Formats: sequence, C-alpha cells, structure tokens
Amino acid sequence: MLITTRESLLDWLSKLIAQYPVIAPRRVEGVPLFRPIASAEEVAWDVMRTVVSPKTWLFPETEAILEIDKGPGGVTLTEPMNEGGRVLFALRPCDARALRALDAMLVEHEPSDVYYARRRRQTMLVGLACRQPLPDCFCTGTGGAPDDADDMDVMLYETDDGFLAQAVTERGELLLEGLEAEETKRRPPAPGPFETQVAVPEPAAWPAHFDDAYWTRLADRCLSCRVCTYVCPTCRCFDVRDYITAAGPGGTQIERLRAWDACLAETYRRAAGGHDPRPLKAQRLRNRFYCKFLYAPQDFGATGCVGCGRCIAACPVNIDISEVLTDMAQMVARG
Amino acid sequence: MTDLTEIAEQIQSQARKLLSSDEADVVIGYETGPRGITRPFFAYKPDEVERLTWNDHCSHNLVTFLRDWKQPRAKGQEAPRVGIVVKACDARALNVLLQEKQIERERVHVIGVVCGGMRDDNREEQARCVRCAERAPVVYDTLIGEPEVVPAHAGWAGVEALEAMSARERLAYWVEQFERCLRCYACRQACPGCYCYECLAEQVDPLWVDIGIDFPQKYFFHIMRAYHLAGRCADCDECERVCPVNIPLSLLNRRIAREITELFDYTPGLSPDEASPLTTFLPNEELPL
Repeated sequence: MLITTRESLLDWLSKLIAQYPVIAPRRVEGVPLFRPIASAEEVAWDVMRTVVSPKTWLFPETEAILEIDKGPGGVTLTEPMNEGGRVLFALRPCDARALRALDAMLVEHEPSDVYYARRRRQTMLVGLACRQPLPDCFCTGTGGAPDDADDMDVMLYETDDGFLAQAVTERGELLLEGLEAEETKRRPPAPGPFETQVAVPEPAAWPAHFDDAYWTRLADRCLSCRVCTYVCPTCRCFDVRDYITAAGPGGTQIERLRAWDACLAETYRRAAGGHDPRPLKAQRLRNRFYCKFLYAPQDFGATGCVGCGRCIAACPVNIDISEVLTDMAQMVARG
Repeated sequence: MTDLTEIAEQIQSQARKLLSSDEADVVIGYETGPRGITRPFFAYKPDEVERLTWNDHCSHNLVTFLRDWKQPRAKGQEAPRVGIVVKACDARALNVLLQEKQIERERVHVIGVVCGGMRDDNREEQARCVRCAERAPVVYDTLIGEPEVVPAHAGWAGVEALEAMSARERLAYWVEQFERCLRCYACRQACPGCYCYECLAEQVDPLWVDIGIDFPQKYFFHIMRAYHLAGRCADCDECERVCPVNIPLSLLNRRIAREITELFDYTPGLSPDEASPLTTFLPNEELPL
C-alpha cells in the first residue's frame, strides 16, 4: 500500500491527463456524469454515484460499427472505430464489478462483442473506494464491497489527510510509477454502514414465481420508459440497423448503427407484421428482474446486478429493485 | 387549507365507496413506499384503500395511466371503470384527453383534490405549482378540499430568459442540454398527452429518425414532441420531473404555450369541450397571424 497527499495525487492525475484521455465523475449542469476531464480540478470527488453508469464509455449509447460504400467499382467496408488507450478515473467498485459482468456476457461467450472487447482492453481502471454508501446502495447484498479492489488496475482510498493507493494489476503498477508516494502499513478506513440490506434469492428460486400476480401489480405503475436499463451498469441490449446516409449516381453510402435498446420498451420485441411475444408491460418489467437474477447467472455465470442503486434513484415511479428482491425472498419463503 | 391527513382519509373513504359498490374496478392514487417515497398506487379491493395517501410529494400525473385501462382486462369483459385522484394540473390533462376522445367520461370517476402545491426533494415548492393559476381541479366527480383564491398566471419566467438569447446562443444552450439526453423516453412515457400507439420517433416506415442516441436524433425527438404538444400541454411538468438528467423540457413546452396563449387566448385543458386551436378549423376562421 502506498500513501500520498492530495496534492501529489492531483499532480499524478495531471500527468495521466497529459498522457491519456481521462474520464472521471464531473458535474454537468449539476448532474453527476462520467465525462472527459481536461484538468485534475474537474474531478467531482464527492460524487458517490453518477446518474448514468460508466458503461457508456465501453458500450456507447450509439456507435457506427460499419460504413458501407457501394460504388461502381464495388463495395468497400470500413470499421470506423479507432480509439486508443484511456483511463476511467474514480470508478466505484460496483461499476468495476459490472464491467466484469459485461465481460462475461459480451466477451467470454461467443459471439464475442469485438467493439466492447476492444475498448475494454484499452481502458485502464483507476478505482476509488466508497467511504459512505448511499441509502439505496446495496453492493454487499449482490456479492460486492464498497472497498473491493479486485476489478481495478489501481485502487485509491480517500483518507482524512490524503490518499492510499494500491496497484492491483501490472498495468496498474506502470500507471502508478508517476505517483509521488511512500510505502505504508496503514489500512484503508472502514466503509460506513449500509441502510439497504438485501439478499438475492438463488437463481433456482425464480422460475416457480414467473406467473405470480406480483409482476402485474408491480407493473401497474411502470411507465415503460427505459430509464432503469439506460442508467444500469450491466444492461447491455442493443439494436443494429443500416441507414442510407448518401445516395446518388456515384454510389450509395450506408452506415450500420448500433444503439442501446431496452427490454422495457414497448417496441423491444415487436416483430414484422406486428407480432409481439411480450405484449404486456408486466411481462417486460418482469424480464428485467429475471434477466438479472436468473438468465445472467444461468447463461453467463455473471451477476446481473451489482447493487449500485441507480435504477432505484432514477425510476420516476419508485420501482425499487431492492424491494423486489425482498418481496421475492418472501415469496420464496412462502413457497 | 384542508389538513393533508384529512385529505388522505377522504380519498380513502371515496375509494372504499367506489370499490365496494362496484362503481370502480380500480382506484388510482398514491401510496408511500418502504423508502418513504410517494408513488402511484392501484387499489383493487376495499381493504387496500388504507394504503392510499396524500402529501406534498404526490407529483405524478396519474392521468397518464388511463391509457392502460381503456381495453377490457379479459375477453368478454367490459372495459374497466377507473377511479382516479387528480390535482389541478392533472385535471387539465384529463380534459385534454376527454376533448380528444381518448377517454370515455362515464368510465372514469374523478376524485379531484384541491392542491396546496407539491414540493421537490429540497422541500421547495415545485415551479409548476408556483405558477399554477387553479389549485382546484377543473374536472371532478368528487371534490376534496376547500377551493382557495389563487394568484393569476405567474407569467413566463425562464421562457423570457431564453427568448432574450440570440438564435445562436439558444442553439448552443439546447446542444448543451440535449448532450445529456439518453433518449430513454421517460418524458414521453410520463406525458398524458403522448399516447400514440407508435411514436414518430420509433416509426420505421416511414422513417423519420434513426435509432442513434446522438444530438440530431435527440434534437429531432424533443422538438417534435414539443410541437405535438402545442396547444395540448397541460403544464404538469411531468416530463421535466422524470428526466434522469435534468433537461429543462418545460421550457420548450412553455415557449410554445406562450405562443398559443398570445395568438389564440387559449389555455389547454380548462374545458373538455373547447377544442385546441391547432387541431381544429372553425368555419370562417381567420388565423391571427
């Protein structure tokens, strides 16, 4: 473990910014979001949780994945993505754990998502431990911890008089070379208590409650918007479509766009001819929870929820995933 | 001003009456969740009405949910009858839907509550409530609370600041605001006036806008939505309240509302019969342009 002052840490961050694009929590018109920073002073250290998860920097809400140029001489295909190394800075442990889940879901199972995988390889993770969880945080309930360094390259712990820093990977050791710090035996401060305590029912417990009336009642107040999935660090659904961007006698240019999609959306499974295998909003809302707590563990060995609490904070009608887990535990107990 | 607990009790008693006499299949109101957050609640049985509450966080415009209750719940059944709790702004939205023939009036029992103004998370009175010129619902079957005298229309604060900008500054302002937009459609989904089965923003044939979540698509979506609400927006501000990234959407709606007021001397939702100027042509009508 290394110990350093706030000043030295900011100096080190300035050096990182000179070397790489650095993306960190920043307030945009008062809204905490992960955004590129131009100077070390821009980091909003007090932000426990950004409104939108940092997944957006590895799995962007929109990207052109292919450009197709159909001319008289034939067809040319170009992959426009050419991003280099970068740093996600002051990443919270739940968000890093979500990237591990995305790795399992997107990369480790064929077909591998090459776009996500490429960005993931190129992105270095500098973590920041949480000192006081928010009232709706529940990472410990999903197997995480507010000071879990496992998924980082470098882990930082804020103390009352500076920072403790630890390299977790070899890449992290290289990153930390520029930091003026000393070895210490000091331990990071213990994180504060959690208000929200939940236990996630085992995947095997879920199928028996698939047809319970609970989901219909819960969905009564659902607006079928996409807030929960779009702020979520592990939701990963997307749509891909081709659009003609230019057409003329010289040829046609087509762009293949991929953009986020959400199982909560009314249009999500609507097929040609209007058929929809999931026409009720209760079916769509239920899918969000079954995806996280049954399908993701079953199909990918991944946790579908890291307990970041974003969907709880963002839902306009207070559909609360921790409450759903508590209710499900009770339904399981009742049998 | 009637006490909040007293209002809650009157809502409960009315809901109990509707549900036990079979006058309503469901009553849509508010409850307080386990975290102390007020949220929509759907009472189906008389013994559930005790969960119905009233406080100064009953922000949601429940009229939005009526679109879920238009169809019979099962084959062979009639469409359900619904009791619904409305504030003054919600009542205006209800009138807009009545006027657009989206609701069968006799299937809805409106529990109107005279509203003392809703508060935001910082306990400040919400902007829509500061500028509310009604407080008492304009449509109801049961009225709860004492109608009070309210100040006249509070003007166009915010809109005026926007108008004072140059076109270039204004564009820069919206570019900055929409940068945060996720195209999550919470604004549209929460809006009682957005009831299209297929939104233009998601239509494939004809194609108006692609699936991208980038400035051109967001700009198209928000401006299109604001135009579609011209002369129809009840100024309930739900779009702005539900936005996860705090985009000041009501500015767009109110900018257009001001135009409608000044051109046509019309406020949406004050009557279920008075058609919106932009969706109606009257014989011998002359446009005041």
